Amino acid sequence: MDAAIEQNRRAAVISEKKNKVLGVCLEDARISKSYLAVAFVALLLGGLLGLLQGLNRAGVLELPAWLNYYQILTAHGLLLVVVLSAFFTIGYFYAGLSHTLGGLLPKVRKLAWIGFWTKMVGLVLVVVPVLMNEASVMYTFYPPMAAHPVFYFGLVLVVLGIWILATGAFINVAHWRKNHKGQHLPILAFFATGVFVLLVGATAFVAVEVLFMIIPWSLGWVETINVMVARTLFWAFGHTAVNIWYLTAVSAWYVIVPKIIGGTRWNDYLTRVVVIALVIMNITGGFHHQIVDPGISLPIKFMHVFMSLAIGFPSLMTAYAMFRVFERTGRRKGGKGALGWFKKLPWGDVRFLSPFIAMAAFIPAGAGGIVQSTNQLDQVVHNTMWIVGHFHLTLGMSVVMTFFGISYWLVPYLSKRVLTPQMNKLGIIQTIIWTVGMVIMAISMHAAGLFGSPRRTSFTTYGDFAETLGWNPLMTAVGIGATLLLIAVILQVYAVFNMMFFAPKGEVEFPIAEIEQDEAPTPYMTERWGIWVVVMLIVIAMAYVLPLTDMIVNAPPGSPPFKTW
Amino acid sequence: MTQFIYGLLLYIFLMLPPVAALFESMMITHMHMQMPMLVISGFLMSGLLLRRSHLFLEKWNHNGIPGITLFMMIMIYWTIPRTMDEALTMQTMEIWKFISLPFLAGVPLRDSWKKLTKAWKNFIIFIFTVKYFGMGALYIWSEESLCNNYLVIDQLTLGWGFITTAICLVIYLVYAFSVNPSDYE
Ligand code: HEM
Ligand SMILES: [Cu+2]
Repeated sequence: MDAAIEQNRRAAVISEKKNKVLGVCLEDARISKSYLAVAFVALLLGGLLGLLQGLNRAGVLELPAWLNYYQILTAHGLLLVVVLSAFFTIGYFYAGLSHTLGGLLPKVRKLAWIGFWTKMVGLVLVVVPVLMNEASVMYTFYPPMAAHPVFYFGLVLVVLGIWILATGAFINVAHWRKNHKGQHLPILAFFATGVFVLLVGATAFVAVEVLFMIIPWSLGWVETINVMVARTLFWAFGHTAVNIWYLTAVSAWYVIVPKIIGGTRWNDYLTRVVVIALVIMNITGGFHHQIVDPGISLPIKFMHVFMSLAIGFPSLMTAYAMFRVFERTGRRKGGKGALGWFKKLPWGDVRFLSPFIAMAAFIPAGAGGIVQSTNQLDQVVHNTMWIVGHFHLTLGMSVVMTFFGISYWLVPYLSKRVLTPQMNKLGIIQTIIWTVGMVIMAISMHAAGLFGSPRRTSFTTYGDFAETLGWNPLMTAVGIGATLLLIAVILQVYAVFNMMFFAPKGEVEFPIAEIEQDEAPTPYMTERWGIWVVVMLIVIAMAYVLPLTDMIVNAPPGSPPFKTW
Repeated sequence: MTQFIYGLLLYIFLMLPPVAALFESMMITHMHMQMPMLVISGFLMSGLLLRRSHLFLEKWNHNGIPGITLFMMIMIYWTIPRTMDEALTMQTMEIWKFISLPFLAGVPLRDSWKKLTKAWKNFIIFIFTVKYFGMGALYIWSEESLCNNYLVIDQLTLGWGFITTAICLVIYLVYAFSVNPSDYE
């Protein structure tokens, strides 16, 4: 036991030294920088469209005839929930793989570029029909709404790009493990493995939906489509995608934030267990987006709710872990009493402040999620602005603010530049504006939703109907929040590109926290990804076989394509 | 001890009438969730039970083969459509199910699995794979209802449940044969 602890400690020292010597590999950095650049351009465009939506729904902006609300909404959803999140995740984890595994292999680098351009071409194919108002189907592209077929071809390429990148990541991880027999994968690479496993699993469903159902139907080869099956396949993907972005943020909470506050990581073994649990149980949670869908029997819905609440367990472990780390670190720095440690945290450091607020936002966001998983409560809020409020808390705060926090060290690290005190101050201001904007917007969205204001509906007074006019003050608040948010977006995008190209030269660290010195060694079990993947597949099979068989065998007549806009 | 308590709690949970009724209301959850969970409850409880009966098992199950054979017999027995039907209609069969799966399948599984060689383990999984493909084909292609208590659609669903599980097992076997752990460990 003692020997193992000693070994742990020495390994920690060695990895520390190695990282200092190696610095950043420029070729690998170029890959990550390209992904991050696309991500933040998407943020700028998506944020701009978000403002237009917010102002429209506040009733102060009437869109010109050539610009359709649903077209904007489609682009906003895709740019932020697909482009920003996916490109950031990939850029961040490829940087993490390069840093913790001693550089990317040349063939992996090549795959990363092929994947990048595949995704970019796919993206153009998706965006062009959206711009031409031929694909205002929103980011969920539910049949029977049908977009131009090119839109779907683009989606296929985007998925293909993800598979190429996942392959690259797996090759690099396998290579490292062959050369480091018996060692645990470095924790950030472990998170990356989990994320890429989930990405492949999630996109497999949407690939089936698009390739075998939607494309033949949108090309007119088949006349009708099974709407329920398509929705089910979509949400297996959509739900998991969102959880992948969350898992990416969580990786920074466990690995990066403790280092930034000058502490050590939470228990290594339990961290890995959280990752494995999130990977195994995630995809089946997709059904909680279909609580109000017809065609799924009540006992099945009940079991699925159980499955999706099970994901809450590792999330609660995460909440506990974070506060444990904060408290331990704060106390070591001399914080006294029940809450004295709280003051010892580096509040003036944007690399901490932004992810901290992100974590705090997950408390109401998670509570809202549990509300929505409950059948009776979901009946009240389904398809209302409440839902929009919810995912702006989860994604717009918990995930995206963590990404922002990461950008303040990752971009300088990759560009061999430094985070200047002025930039840090700008970051703090940006964080505060974003927080205030998102809190105003999310609270008023939740409230408007409770009163019945529908989501995905452009501004209308419903013929000056008194009941619905009551929503308007709340929607005005949404517009105010949206305005603040766009200011924060501009600051953030400015910061990223400044740090990428103009900040003073220098070296900054890639902050990865070490484990506690007296921690018991982690069992090797956690590294057996082959087994976890099989368990994941069995869980998926258990959850999906019954409803899918029912939807296919007892299918209603299918639907022809519709253009509703 | 904690494992024993978890196992016991799971066992009691599965016995609660509404829980049992929910699982048994669908053929696939009856066979692919309730039954495996009963085995798991026995598996968890067995740590404590096995320690008590150490000497007996040492003599009787020293290489794990007798135990795993008993496990297989019980598992195969409960995939016969008729046994499921009877569990729903006859109280004694239901009791037999709740005794046999945890204590005659879960317990010997735990005692045997760690004693088996790798080849034996993979062989057992292989047998299950073949059996699952076979049962899947039977349930999918059988024109008539094999269980009095379930509809044909239930049967079809269960058939696909068998096939998908078998596919997962194939993936596992491919992984077990193509990846050499000593390359990594
Ligand atoms: C500048 C900041 C933002 C503003 C002002 C904003 C505003 C809005 C508004 C007003 C809606 C439309 C509600 C409706 O009619 O249903 C919306 C939808 C949405 N937003 Fe945002 N948002 C912002 C940032 C984000 C971020 C960072 C994300 C995710 C990473 C995001 C993801 C989404 C998604 C997925 C939808 C739903 C689209 C749909 O229903 O098809 N937004 N946003
Ligand atoms: Cu979800």
